Amino acid sequence: MPDPKAVIELQGVGKTYVSGETSTPVLFDISFKIMPGEFVAIVGGSGSGKTTLLNLMGLLDRPTVGALCIQGRPVQELEEEERAVVRRDRVGFIFQFHYLLPEFTVIENALMPSRMRGVRWERTHTSRMTQLLETVGLGDKLKSRPSQLSGGQQQRVAVVRALANEPALVLADEPTGNLDSKSGRVVFDLMRKLARETGTAFVMVTHDDNFALETDRVIRIKDGRILADAPTGSR
Amino acid sequence: MRITYFTTSVALRHLRYGVGQSLLTIGVVAISVLLIIYLQTIIGGLQTRLIRNTTGAIPHITLESPERVPIAAWRLTNKDSTQLYVGETVNLPKAQERIEDWRLWVGALDAPEADYVAVSPVVAGTAFMFRGARRQTVRIQGVIPERHNGIVDIESNLEGGRFLQLASGEVAMGRKLARDFGVKLRDKIRLVGPQGQTLSVTVGGIFETGFGPVDDGTLFMMLRDGQSLLGYGTAVSTIGLKLADIYEAETRAADLAARAPFKVRSWIGDNPNLFRNLQSQSQTSNLILVMAVIAAGFGIASILIMSVTGKYREIGILKAMGATPQEIQTIFVIEGFLLAILGCIVGVPLSIGLLQALASVRSVGPDGRSTQIFEIEIDPTLLLTASLIAITTGAIAAFFPARRAGSVDPMQVIRGA
Repeated sequence: MPDPKAVIELQGVGKTYVSGETSTPVLFDISFKIMPGEFVAIVGGSGSGKTTLLNLMGLLDRPTVGALCIQGRPVQELEEEERAVVRRDRVGFIFQFHYLLPEFTVIENALMPSRMRGVRWERTHTSRMTQLLETVGLGDKLKSRPSQLSGGQQQRVAVVRALANEPALVLADEPTGNLDSKSGRVVFDLMRKLARETGTAFVMVTHDDNFALETDRVIRIKDGRILADAPTGSR
Repeated sequence: MRITYFTTSVALRHLRYGVGQSLLTIGVVAISVLLIIYLQTIIGGLQTRLIRNTTGAIPHITLESPERVPIAAWRLTNKDSTQLYVGETVNLPKAQERIEDWRLWVGALDAPEADYVAVSPVVAGTAFMFRGARRQTVRIQGVIPERHNGIVDIESNLEGGRFLQLASGEVAMGRKLARDFGVKLRDKIRLVGPQGQTLSVTVGGIFETGFGPVDDGTLFMMLRDGQSLLGYGTAVSTIGLKLADIYEAETRAADLAARAPFKVRSWIGDNPNLFRNLQSQSQTSNLILVMAVIAAGFGIASILIMSVTGKYREIGILKAMGATPQEIQTIFVIEGFLLAILGCIVGVPLSIGLLQALASVRSVGPDGRSTQIFEIEIDPTLLLTASLIAITTGAIAAFFPARRAGSVDPMQVIRGA
C-alpha cells in the first residue's frame, strides 16, 4: 500500500531503454519515499542513472517495472495529458539551464506555471510570486527580460518559477551546475530555505558532495542501484 | 484545440517578439489576398464587359420557325412505285418562315413559372429607307417597345424622342444612322419593303446604346407597322427571350427545343468560341488563385516551422512544466490563425485601394466618350471569401508545424542540454 503522506514513493522501479534489438538497463529495483519538506540529494557518477531517476520521478519518462505514486496516487499508468496535468499541479522543475522564456519578463516567467493552470492575474498569487522574487533579490528586476539577467539571477527566477503552483515536490537537475561557486551557493541556500519555509520537498541531483552533505538526506546511486540512502544529520 | 489565457498569451508574445518574421508572414498573406481579390475582380469585370457587349443587345434565347427541309416527292408516295420523279431543291423565301401562333407562345412564356426576364416577339427583315434622293438599306425590327426594351435597353439610351411610347407610323433609330442619313427627330422618311410595300414614317426617337449593329443600321418600329412593311400579315419571325442567368441559356434552350415546335438558338450556341474563351479564362484565374492560396499556405507553414525549430527547447520545457501536447499545438495554430487574420486586415484594404485606383483610370474612345479601362465592381462577398480562404489556409498551414511542436519530447530537450 502506498503511503498517502509521502510526497512521492517508488516501489521496485526499474528502467530499461530498448533500441531495436538492444536493451540497456539503466535503473534496477529503486525503492524509497520522500516526505513533505524533505531536502534530498541524489548523487552518483556520470551514467549512474540519477537523471533518469529524476525524469521518472517527474513523470517525463515511464518506468519499465515497479510502481510510482505521487501523494498516494499511482501515476505510472496515466495517459500523456493526465501526466502533464500532474506535472503542472504537483511537481516543479529546475534544470541545469534556466530555460526561461525570452519573450516574457521575469514576473511573467515566474507566473507561467500558474497561467498554464488557468490562474490569470489573481492579485494574491501575483503578490506571493513578487514577494518570492524579492526574497531572492530580484525585486528590482520584475519587468526585466531574462536576457538582461546574470546566470545566477536567471536560475533564481527558475527556482521561484518551480514554486508557482505550490507543488508538493520540486525536482532539480544539477541546478548549480552551470553557475560559478558564488551564484551556485546563493541558489542552493535559496532552495534549502524555501524547502524549510514552504514545506515543499526538494530532490536535487548533484555532482557536488559539499552541497549534498548540506541536505537532509543523500541517496547515492551507482550503476543504476541505490548504494546508500541515509540522512546527513545536517538539519 | 485548447484556447486558454496561457495558450493565447504565449502565441501573442511569440508574434510580438518575432516581429520581423510575423511581418513577413503577414505580407505574404496580404499579397495572396490582394492577388485573389484583384484577379477575380479584374477578370470578372472583363468577362462581364465581354458578355454584356456580346449579349447586351440580343436575346439570350431566340425562337424561330423551324427550317423547312425539302422532302423528295417520292418519299410521300408509294416507295415501290416505278414512277420516275424529276425535281430540284428550292429554298423557300425567308419571309415564309414565320410564327403564326406567337400570341399563344408569348402568353405561355410570360407565365411566372417560365421564369424569363423579357419575352419579345419580333418581326425582322430588311427594307430600303428613302429621304429625298438618298437611299439606304436598313434592318427593320418590328417590336412591342415595352417588351423589346427588356432585350435591349433603348429607352434609357434615348438622345431624343421616345421609344416606349412609340406610336404607329413612328420609328426609332441610332444616332449614327440618323447622322449618316442626315435625318433628325420628327423628320419624315419613306420605307420600301422586300415585296414593294411602302410605309411613310416619322423619326420618333434617336438613341445610342453603344452596341454597333443596333446603333448603325436598325430601325425599330411598332410590330404592326413591321408586319405590314415586311409582308408578315399577323405573324412574327422570332420570339426573343432574356434570362436572369445568361449561363443557363444552353440548358434552357435545349429544354425549350424539346417542348416547343421551334428552332431554338442560344447566345452560347451562337458564340461558341467566346464561351470557350470565357471558360478557359475562368480556369486560368482559378489556377492562379489556387497558386496564390498555396503560396500563402507555404509562407505561413514555413515561418511556423522555423518558429517551432527555433523554440524547440522552450517547447520542451513548457511541456516538462506541465503544458499538454494539445496546449502546445493550440499555441501554434493560434499563431497561424492570427497571422492569416492580420494578413487579411492588411490585404483587403490594400486590394480595395488598388481596385479603386484602377477604377478611376479612364480612356477616351474614338467616339469621344470617356470610358473606364477596367470594369471594376468591388464585391463584398469576394472580399469575405478571399479572407475566409486565407484564414482557413493559415489554420491548415499552421496545423502541421503545430503537431510537430505538440510532439516534442521534453526528455530529449533536457538530455540534449
